[in-house]
Amino acid sequence: MPRALLIQLARLGDLVQSLPVISALHSLYPEQPLDLLCPAPLVPVGELFPGISRVYPWDGAFWRPECGAMGHSWKEQFHHTRQVWTQQAYPAYHLAYNLNNHPRGILAAHLLADRVIGQGSWGPINPRLSPWGEYLLTVARNRGKNRIHLSDAFCGLCEVRPPKASPRIFPIKTSLPSGLEGLLGSSGRQIIGLILGAGDAERRIPVSIWKALIQECVDRLPDALILLIGGKEEGEIAFALESALPTGCLNRIINMCGRTSLLALVSLLSRCQWVVGSDTGPLHLSTLCGARAVGWFFSRARVHETGPYGAGHYVWQHSQRVGLSPRETYELTGLPELPQVWPIEETVCLLSGGPVSSANGPWSLWASQYDGMGTFYQPYDGPENLQQIRQKVWDKLSPTLAMTAS
Amino acid sequence: MINFQANIDLIGKSAPFLRSQLSEVSGGFLCIQMSKSGIPAAMVNHHWIHSAYDPQKEAERWAVQQLKNCRPGEVLLIFGVGLLYHVEALKRHLSPDQRVLVVVGNLNELRDCLSVRSLSEWGEEVHWVWGTTSEVVSQITQIAKCVRVLSYDPAASLHRALYEEVRQGLREEMAKHVSGRLHIMVVGPIYGGSLPIAGYVVRALEAMGHRISWVDHSLHAPGYQQIDGIHDVRLRQTVQHKFSETLGIISLAYVAEDPPDLVLGMAQAPLSMAVLDQLRRKKILTAMWFVENFRHLTYWQQMAAGYDFWFVMQKEPCLEAMTRAGAPHVSYLPLAADPTIHKPLVVSGAEKRELGADVSFLGAGYKNRRRLLTGLVGQEWSFKLWGNEWNDPGLLSDVLQRGGARIDSETAVKIFNSTAVNVNLHSYIGEGLDPQGDSVNPRTFELASCGAFQVIDTRTLLPELFDESMMGIFTRPEDLVSTVRKFSQEPELRVSMAEQSRKRVLGLHTYEHRMQTLLSEIGVTYPDRLGSILQGDRQAQSLSESCGDCPELLPILQQFQDHERVELVDLAEAIRKKGPEAILKREELLILMMDEYRQEKRDFL
Repeated sequence: MPRALLIQLARLGDLVQSLPVISALHSLYPEQPLDLLCPAPLVPVGELFPGISRVYPWDGAFWRPECGAMGHSWKEQFHHTRQVWTQQAYPAYHLAYNLNNHPRGILAAHLLADRVIGQGSWGPINPRLSPWGEYLLTVARNRGKNRIHLSDAFCGLCEVRPPKASPRIFPIKTSLPSGLEGLLGSSGRQIIGLILGAGDAERRIPVSIWKALIQECVDRLPDALILLIGGKEEGEIAFALESALPTGCLNRIINMCGRTSLLALVSLLSRCQWVVGSDTGPLHLSTLCGARAVGWFFSRARVHETGPYGAGHYVWQHSQRVGLSPRETYELTGLPELPQVWPIEETVCLLSGGPVSSANGPWSLWASQYDGMGTFYQPYDGPENLQQIRQKVWDKLSPTLAMTAS
Repeated sequence: MINFQANIDLIGKSAPFLRSQLSEVSGGFLCIQMSKSGIPAAMVNHHWIHSAYDPQKEAERWAVQQLKNCRPGEVLLIFGVGLLYHVEALKRHLSPDQRVLVVVGNLNELRDCLSVRSLSEWGEEVHWVWGTTSEVVSQITQIAKCVRVLSYDPAASLHRALYEEVRQGLREEMAKHVSGRLHIMVVGPIYGGSLPIAGYVVRALEAMGHRISWVDHSLHAPGYQQIDGIHDVRLRQTVQHKFSETLGIISLAYVAEDPPDLVLGMAQAPLSMAVLDQLRRKKILTAMWFVENFRHLTYWQQMAAGYDFWFVMQKEPCLEAMTRAGAPHVSYLPLAADPTIHKPLVVSGAEKRELGADVSFLGAGYKNRRRLLTGLVGQEWSFKLWGNEWNDPGLLSDVLQRGGARIDSETAVKIFNSTAVNVNLHSYIGEGLDPQGDSVNPRTFELASCGAFQVIDTRTLLPELFDESMMGIFTRPEDLVSTVRKFSQEPELRVSMAEQSRKRVLGLHTYEHRMQTLLSEIGVTYPDRLGSILQGDRQAQSLSESCGDCPELLPILQQFQDHERVELVDLAEAIRKKGPEAILKREELLILMMDEYRQEKRDFL
């Protein structure tokens, strides 16, 4: 069977959210080799995805005019680009599934494949969108009452049903920093990962809030070990936290910021029972690794689109301020609009398995479930009947798939 | 075994004339010494021109360094002969069809080389250029319209004047054949003497047909001057620094929005090293025209390495000082005039009465001017003093006009034109004439451009710009009054001299001439960048002609006018115009992808 290619050129979170469609495509066409084109730094994660044959790196730096190998005139740059493109020796794809409604993704799809499904299916410079493309754009602009998860919309975009079960990845054997392996492996303690950073400044949780959460965990979860997770950029946050916390807390936290490769991160996340963070790539990655997630969604993050995928996760959703949108606030003040209060005690209640009140001021609690139409979030204490709303969308946008919740 | 005869026979194949001349010279220019590695090296006047340890290794390093900038297919022009180790090393790295020209500075030098080195393996492919400067330039330009100059400095410095003349000849040749249109961003200062010059530069470049983006920071002058209200010096300087930094970032944002081929900063343009570093990372060429006295304004020492090109209005020791401070390319570029502004005018009536005089001076009240101009008061002529910064004018108070108010350009031109003898005294913080006075001030060019007669104090660089048939030149402070007297009595001579000076300006000293020199210098140094654009290589016709290896682009290029400059953005736009249903070829998709990344600006600031 000819090869197909799935294109996801966005960030870690979007790549992770693409695993359900990969899983669905693989289930539907098990004989069709499916390759993945993703940003070069994320290739190690892509290589862990079940259902993917080969992963090709997309190196944005190569295309930039200031790239060292590029000449000064566009003609020199073009010759260089064409030469390198030819040397890449991409297989001839009969089909590309493109998830990015960005010219780069669309152009890459048309450069690499004879036919494109998903974004750009009408042609490389045709602005017309597929029904699911339209839907995603509408949701991005005006969320309304959307109850279709982004990962499931990706499935619709690629003309497949969401997978029967939420997919998982399994870490390959990666050595963790010395001493950590023993500490995490044999303790039998509850391990909670805190995702300190976020790609967007407006989604970063303040240090003081992390400090309060850690203290609450230390007080209420006596056996829990807390991992501070992040890249090099989060090193300063972690350092500030370690400095601010009482000495008694320090033997309960392990600072892993900047100490893990992507593969080691997967390995680390797969040891966590719970992971807490805002709407970030590592939070989503943790759910693929088997951890349960508690998301703090504020600013532009919205549970129904990008809540952690699969069943058993929780999201605290902060309601947006009336008046200015988060972007307007950011543009006006240069600062993200941050919640005034945070559901710290309530989150620790969730981690300890205790009862919790589903509302805390501007925060509401949502719990994830999974059915034949993918992942959806219900109010924690009063399930809504969402089946009809979701069914209607699927019937309208993908009538041939004959979707049902069962 | 070195066979001199075989060597000159080999040279004779491409340069028979050179062969016969080499037979007639006896050598003795180079002092041949054995290097530690056992191969010949050479000295001149007790200075090694190749490594005394390992000339081949040194030459290899030089060649590798030079090749970093070279592009395939370029014709390489080498200044400096010595023992030719550097040419041999370069040839090793080049494909046989890449042409190399060596400019021979001295036949005896070449003969010495041919006596101790064998050219048999590589010399046949070298083209030897020899003759008078014009012959050399002519030979080079017959071979290639655009060459890349590589200088092996230890040997080239032995004939610095010749190589500089050849370079100038190449610049002039390039200037003659300019057909391409550049996009140049001129970044001006917040205020100061270079501000009006920035305006003249912009006008000149526009008149030459280039597209200009002028980042005029004088708009921010009122805000900057407000900072003077902060009394604490350190605090004030910090705020001024931050203010300038912000203006630099604003300049960078303009570059990001519409990237130019060249950013030309005028003296005191608020471009910090961080901004210049970023421009270099983004492959934007930068040049600074430093129209200030390098001895008085010394911030260039910190900035020298930041600009790709420096143009200065002084020669030595300025050129050497800039180079030592890290400037990659420094060139002399004197000031000039804008004849559309500084032009002859007939002033009459009340204006003539107010602005006219037998003798005038217009300028700021420097110490030497206060002292010397006093001698012009109470003489047989009427004397008017114009300009600002004349607090406590003393004996000059009776002749100071408009209470020492600042005089705008328009009024200045009228003053020049209605004065019989314009005194042009270069500023100096001492009492007499600046003993180190080298550069010629803008007033000299402006007066000449107006066809106005001037009496001027001598400067070391004045004779190569104007001569004594064009202006009254005095060399000692005590000669000012007598020089003015002499010329005030010779109205016809004044008119004829002033006409000569105006002719000289129109022929050689306008801002257009300066910009032509500036752009040609950059073009000669970077033949693949500004050079190729100036020569029209980015025009549709030229691009189409060189499109043999990419016929897919030909139909798109043919949509443009022959002389229209076509850049990636234009090409991408033409492709998008094909409409939403278009089926695009791979090459078109690659162009669109390149254009997508070209538009990315997120890491610019």
